[in-house]
Parts: sequence; C-alpha cells; structure tokens
Amino acid sequence: MTKTNTCATPDKKTNEEAPCILACPIRQDARDYVQLIARGRFQEAFRLVRERNPLPSACGRICTHPCETKCRRNSTEAPIAIAWLKRFLGDNFSEETRKIIKEKYPERIAVIGTGPAGLAAANDLALLGYSCTIFESNPTPGGMLRMGVPTYRLPRTAIDNDVEYIKKLGVEIKYNTTFGVDITFDSLKKDGFAAVFIGVGLPESRTLNVEGVNLDGVLKGISFLNEVNATGSARIGRNVLVIGGGAVAMDCARTALRLKPDKVSVACLESRKEMPTTDFEIEETVHEGVVLYNSVGPKRILGKNGRVSGLETLRVKYVFDEQKRFSPAFYEGSESVIEADTIILAIGQASNLSFLKGQEGIQVTRGGTIIVNPDTFSTSVHGIYAGGDVVLGRGTMTESMAQGKKTAIAIHNTLRNTALKDEKWAEKPAVPDIVPSRLSLIKKESKQEMPTMPLDERLKTFDEVELGFPLNIAVKEAQRCMNCGAGALVDDNLCVGCLTCVRICPFEVPKIKKGDTTAYIDGDCQSCGLCIVECPAKAISFKTPLEDRGKDALEAVFQEKFVQGVKPFIINFYCQYSAYREEKEGAADDLLFFHFRRIGVLGLGKVDPSLYLRAFELGAHGVLITACKDDTCHFCTEKEWVERRAQYTTQLLNGLGMDTRRFQTHFVSSQNGKEILEIAFRMVEELRNRV
Amino acid sequence: MIVASSKPFPEIKQMLSGFKKVCVLGCGSCVTMCHTGGEKQVTELAAQLRLSAKLEGRQLEVKEDSTLRQCEWEFIDDIKEVIKDCDAVLSIACGVGVQYMAEKFPRIRIFPGVNTTFMGGPVEQGIFWERCAGCGNCILGTTGGLCPVSRCAKSLMNGPCGGSQNGKCEVSQETPCVWHQIYDQLDTQQLLATMERIVPPKDWTTGMENHPRKMVIEHLVMKKQ
Ligand code: SF4
Ligand code: SF4
Ligand code: SF4
Ligand code: SF4
Repeated sequence: MTKTNTCATPDKKTNEEAPCILACPIRQDARDYVQLIARGRFQEAFRLVRERNPLPSACGRICTHPCETKCRRNSTEAPIAIAWLKRFLGDNFSEETRKIIKEKYPERIAVIGTGPAGLAAANDLALLGYSCTIFESNPTPGGMLRMGVPTYRLPRTAIDNDVEYIKKLGVEIKYNTTFGVDITFDSLKKDGFAAVFIGVGLPESRTLNVEGVNLDGVLKGISFLNEVNATGSARIGRNVLVIGGGAVAMDCARTALRLKPDKVSVACLESRKEMPTTDFEIEETVHEGVVLYNSVGPKRILGKNGRVSGLETLRVKYVFDEQKRFSPAFYEGSESVIEADTIILAIGQASNLSFLKGQEGIQVTRGGTIIVNPDTFSTSVHGIYAGGDVVLGRGTMTESMAQGKKTAIAIHNTLRNTALKDEKWAEKPAVPDIVPSRLSLIKKESKQEMPTMPLDERLKTFDEVELGFPLNIAVKEAQRCMNCGAGALVDDNLCVGCLTCVRICPFEVPKIKKGDTTAYIDGDCQSCGLCIVECPAKAISFKTPLEDRGKDALEAVFQEKFVQGVKPFIINFYCQYSAYREEKEGAADDLLFFHFRRIGVLGLGKVDPSLYLRAFELGAHGVLITACKDDTCHFCTEKEWVERRAQYTTQLLNGLGMDTRRFQTHFVSSQNGKEILEIAFRMVEELRNRV
Repeated sequence: MIVASSKPFPEIKQMLSGFKKVCVLGCGSCVTMCHTGGEKQVTELAAQLRLSAKLEGRQLEVKEDSTLRQCEWEFIDDIKEVIKDCDAVLSIACGVGVQYMAEKFPRIRIFPGVNTTFMGGPVEQGIFWERCAGCGNCILGTTGGLCPVSRCAKSLMNGPCGGSQNGKCEVSQETPCVWHQIYDQLDTQQLLATMERIVPPKDWTTGMENHPRKMVIEHLVMKKQ
C-alpha cells in the first residue's frame, strides 16, 4: 500500500548511528558483531569483525576501546565489553580466506613496517586487488605489538594468527630488511613499486635529560620489553623503578614484576587521574603489587660505583599549563629520593627518520613525525605515503590501523583515478544518551567479569592474565547490548497514526508529535519488537538486517529433506535471552532433535502469530513456544504478551478446527534444559497418534 | 472512526468455499486503526485461509493486498491488476469499501470479511465503544457532549430511565448509563437545570429512517462531460 502525501519532519533522525561504532577509529561494526554473538551467530560475527579489522585477536586484547567509553549502556550500569567480545571471536573462530579479491591490478605497493598501520594498509590494499610487500627490520611481525606489548597481555600466537590471515590474502613479508639500509626509496622505485607506505612507528625510547642517565642499570622501556618478550635476556636488579605514567610504563612495571625482584615501583609526573592510560591498566598494575609514586618529577639519577642507586625527585606543582600544554613545574626544595638499583625509562617514544636521507622533499615536524595530507596520507612527495605513530606521534593501535586503511583507499584512488569512498567513515549523528525518564524502564543487566589468572600464579609466568570469555559468558555479555540505532523504524508511507505503538511500547519510545501524522521511534528503542507485531498497518520494521523475527529460520527448517518424514515434527520457538545452550545434551537431546527444530529469537515478543500459522502451513505437526519466566525477562514485559498472543493464536487455530494440543505455550526458565525436555517429550507423546 | 469486527472464520470459509484463487484486501484507514482490516489482518487472514485449505486438502491460492481507502474509486483502481485473475475478493474494509469494490469490479465476486459495526473509537487500547449513531441531527450541545442516541440502549431523549443503577445500564452491567454520565457532566458544568427541561420528540427523519442519505457540496461538484 502506498500513501502519497506524507512528508517526514526533519527532526525525525533515522540515520543516527550507535556511538560505539562512531567512536572507533576504524569504524568497527561493534554493535552488529555484538548482536550476532547475542544470537549465537559466531562465525558471521567473526567475519564481520575481520572485514574491517585486520588484527582482531590483537585488537580484542589491547585496544583502548573508545567504543566502550561511548557505549550507551554506561548510563544504565556499565558498558558492553565490546573488545573482549572481539577477542572471544578471534580466539575461537577463524575463517578461510574468502575469494573476494575481484580484480588484480598490475601495480605493486611497498609497505614499510609490520606494525598495525603497515599491516592494515597491506591488508586493505590486498583486498582492493594490489600485490603488496611489507619490509620489516625485525625477524618477526607486529612492530610495537611484538616489541612493546608484554606477552601476558598479548600472547604472540594472537599476533601470529592475525598476520597469518593477512599473508593468506597474498601479502608478502620480507623480514630482517631495514629501510634506509637494506632498501631505499630508490631501490624500491627501481624494483617497480608504484607507491610506498611508511609505517615505521616510533622505535626509539626517549631519554631523560638529567644527570646520571648513563649509569649502569638505566634501561630504556621498549628495549627492556623487547628483550624480555623476544629474547628473555633482560637483566634487572632487586629494586626496580619505572619512570613514566603511560601504558608502556605499566607494561614495564608488570613485566619487571614477573622477573621476581624484591620491589617494583612507578614514578610519574601525573597525578593518578592525569595518567595517560586506562584506569583498568593502572588498577591491574597496582593489584599485582607495583608501588605508584604520583606527581613526582625526576631531578637526577643517583649512582654508586657507576651503578644506579636511586632517583632524586621533585614534587610536581602542575603538569599542564593553562593552555593545557605539557609544561611541568615543580616545588623548589621538595627533593626526596626513591631508592632503586634499576631504572627503566618509559617516558615516550621517538622516531628514527634516518631513512629519509636524500629525500629532503618529505616534510617532517620538529617533533620528528612525518607530515601528511590528512585525507590522503600522502607525504609531500608524490607516491610516498605515511601513517601510524610516525605520523601521529603517539597514537593508539586503532588510530594507526585507521590511517593504514585510509591510505589504502587513497593509494587506490590515485592509481586508478577513482573516488572510492568507505561509507563507514561518513559523518553521522550519534544516537543520543537515553532519555532520563526511560532509564528506570530499562532492565539493568550487570556486566560479565573477565576470568583472570589468580594473582599468585600470574607473577610466576608471562602467560596471559585475562583468560577470555567462555561461550556462555560471551553470549550473556553480548545480550546486554541495546542494539542502538538499529531498532524499530516507522515507514511514514504506511503508518496510519493509530497510536498502538505509542501505547504499548514498554519503554515509552514511539511518539506522534504535534503536527506529525505518523509515529516516530527514536534511538532509545530496545528492539523488543512488540510494536512491530502489533502495528495494524505493518508500518514498523527493524533497521537491522540481523533481525527477521524468526522468519528465515523457519523457512530454512523446511528446506531440510529429513523433516518431511518425521512424525510428529514440531517447531520450538524459544527466547534466546539467557537461554543459549550448546545444542545437544546427550542422548535425550538426540531424540528431541529428531522431532524438534528450535528457532531462537531475542525475545518472543517480536514473533508474529501469523508465523506460527506459517509453521503449520509449511508442514509442522506442532508448534511449541517455550518462553522465559517473567523474572528473567530482558524486556520485563514479554511474558504477558506471549500469553496473550498464545491465546489469540489458539483462537485462530480453533477457527480452523485444529486440535489445540498442536499449539502449546510453556513458561519455563530456559536454562532449565531438563524441564524443556520433559515438556517436549510430553508433546511428542500427545501428538504421536494424532498426526 | 468506523469500527468493524472480524467475521468468524468459519463464516468466511463458507463464503469462499469453491474458489481456487482469492485475494484478501485490506483498507488503510478506519479498519486498520481498529485492528480488523489493516495489513496485519490481511496477513493473518491469508495465513488462516491457506492453512485451512491445507488441512482440508483443498487447492487455494491466496493473494494479499491493501489500499489506502477502499471507499475511493482512484485508490481501488490500483487494485485491478492484483485481482484480475482472482475468482473472489475478501474485502476487510467496512461495508462502504466492500460496495465500492463490488461496483467497480462487477465481474468479480466480492465478500465482506468484517461486520461493520459502529462509529466509535478506542476508549482504551484495544477496547472500542460506539460513540455516534449518525442521527443526522446532533444534540451533543445540550447533553454535555455525551450522545444518548448511540450510548443509551433505548436512545432516550429524556433520561435516565428507571433502569439506571449505580451508574450502570439495566441492559448490561458492563455498559455505563450515559444519562447518569450526562447528569454528572452537567453538574460539573453547573448546568443541571438543563436536566429539567423536557426535550420534545426527536426528528428521526434525518437519520436511519431516511435511507439512503446523500450529501452534496455544490461548489465541488464537477460537470459531467
Ligand atoms: S549498547 Fe550496544 S549498540 Fe549501544 S552503544 Fe553499547 S555496544 Fe553499542
Ligand atoms: S502502530 Fe503502526 S500505524 Fe499505528 S501509529 Fe504506530 S507505526 Fe503508525
Ligand atoms: S521495538 Fe519495542 S522498544 Fe522499540 S519502539 Fe517498539 S515497542 Fe518500543
Ligand atoms: S439505564 Fe441509562 S443507558 Fe440504559 S436504557 Fe436507561 S437511560 Fe439508557
């Protein structure tokens, strides 16, 4: 049906995007992979992640997850563990390389560095159809991920898995090849590379300009980490002091702890609140036993017989000036001493641009980073691109990946003279925070805890501390997600303004504003689907393509040849909230599997009664609905609706003269598999001689 | 709005028996709002018809469509293509729509899928009450805005009658006595004196007594070619 004279009012924002997606530098489809996990569709979830993210396993562990900072669940209790869920996928699923590379172009691209920026650029260029070679000065891939991130946070197998996949796309990696030494711009040109992407990162540790830095026992942060991680050769004393307040400092401290000295401490300029790393990292560091000295600055390193004996410090007045520039000031006469026999400097990284010799055309900043066009990542020399930390100065892993990805498209556009755009980066308004009056209507769902290694075991090894979500926990965590920005949408051409949705939504979301003729559902929609089923004009649908309210699954069941001979054959619609079971629980389930096919939906409130009729039409002998008991309902009100619709459907079937034993609704705790089995067996017996 | 209630399914089945290809046709206006004639209802009814045919081993093809208003020639014109190969149409519009269809498509059998019942509205979500009888001579201005023609079982002009008990009508305990309500309303408006006036017999010739009624808006009437 079409209606002609409607016009959407401009304040109906139907293009709002979930803030978790917008917050991510690579615009990872956070909501959608979380929603797929919530539905038990893990393989698809992994594929979705991998499509945008060349390093899912690494990212799921060490990303600073700005998505979680912006997650709208922050206002109900706590954000969704978006990163950990990605890790869950990366750890448990993999995928054969898909043959999606449509066109092979003749141009070859050189990438310098196998850090996040270089890997991302090569990955995306390969997907676009270019052959890529990455040159890496180290014997192993990963760049700072491998050199700088401790194994207890990022096991090397995680990096290797991610890189393996990139190699399968056809990307070649040449190790032990240092740019500026073994290869140069000229040699690359001679070898026929059409473009060069520089993603060399910041390999040098900054050093302090104070007395005593050359004493024995003063180590550089990244070199220390690299030695421990790669070769295990680092030597420290009994009393270690790390200088610095960022993530690398925390990594150094926690790594040093695992070498079992008597004491490890961290001294930094910043107050605890100002420290440039996540709260979680600081908490873990302190939890493991590191002593934190905040708001102290190094005056000089003290020594005895050529070896470090401590750090003389000054108390910090402020770290940032009024313009918020880094400009620390100290209290005079506030000297004190922190004793230490080893000092690790983790105060930042610097570039090494020696490879630019002879390439004076490439502009660099005073801070030693390469200047690029912010849209194309082209340096001031045609054909040479740069991204990642060597451009950012100090960026995150995802920011680096984003630059690599954007450069890949820019290189393609230059070489092909096209204007390809990645729509995911388009500007969109974010779904605003939940309207306060609705907060009390949304059920609080507490965040799942990450299982971790017990403290006493942790410090004995370099094994990973966070153990990863098991499947049931991952699903539970994912099911907390509110599907922001992908909920119900009213088609203005179909809505007749009947107000049904306005009246029945448990979260008071749909509204017909004065002057409007049709309903509008804003970003607070919780995707329960009640209004979609009840709208008499069928004007409402889900924006997300992930939710078809059971339809496709039902049709798919009857594509199976097997089911046609089974008597009785029963379709079981069940609620997936807190009901994810790994299918098959012993022999009992085998029999059940013979007679039943289960169709899970996130909330039975979104299933049309006409779908139950359809099941019979397709050939089912019975339809069994197993719904959650109300105390566990994610949407709080579904039980009542399932009950009413069951009655309604029964009436419809009565009208057809059908034996109503063929349509049954039971309220059970879905986690109680035994109870469901009993119900199922009873139903099979009841129908056995009646069909 | 016009309120219609679904016909019992066995009656619908009976009407359509013998046809092999039918179309269930909804209407996007009043009957959508009262949940008996909209797109959703079309889907459900069509599913019921198909299932019932299957259960009885009958051949039946069921098409589904809907139009903005079945009581407009232009809108139902669009339906022509959809129903041209159907043996019958089950219209779930009000009686007006069914008749428009019958008039427009004289060669196709048109059946009503609903019982057109009254003019009223959803007093609560899902509960519809009659509110107007279309008497053609509205008296709401003297009755506090409550209609005794449609809401009093006896359509009394000088109520309440002796059957009014605790605000309920003697005809059904479920029905509020509208004259009781009129009394309360006039009381609120300090117009109780109106209750004492005897209303002379109402002229019913403007109403149902005078079928079929017709209305002409002169200046809008287009000259026939
Ligand atoms: S609740 Fe889900 S969709 Fe919404 S912001 Fe959080 S992760 Fe994204
Ligand atoms: S229920 Fe459907 S037709 Fe009614 S107001 Fe909502 S969207 Fe419009
Ligand atoms: S889907 Fe549920 S939460 Fe969303 S608007 Fe409809 S009734 Fe409300
Ligand atoms: S009780 Fe009231 S509503 Fe019922 S017939 Fe009498 S006057 Fe009319």
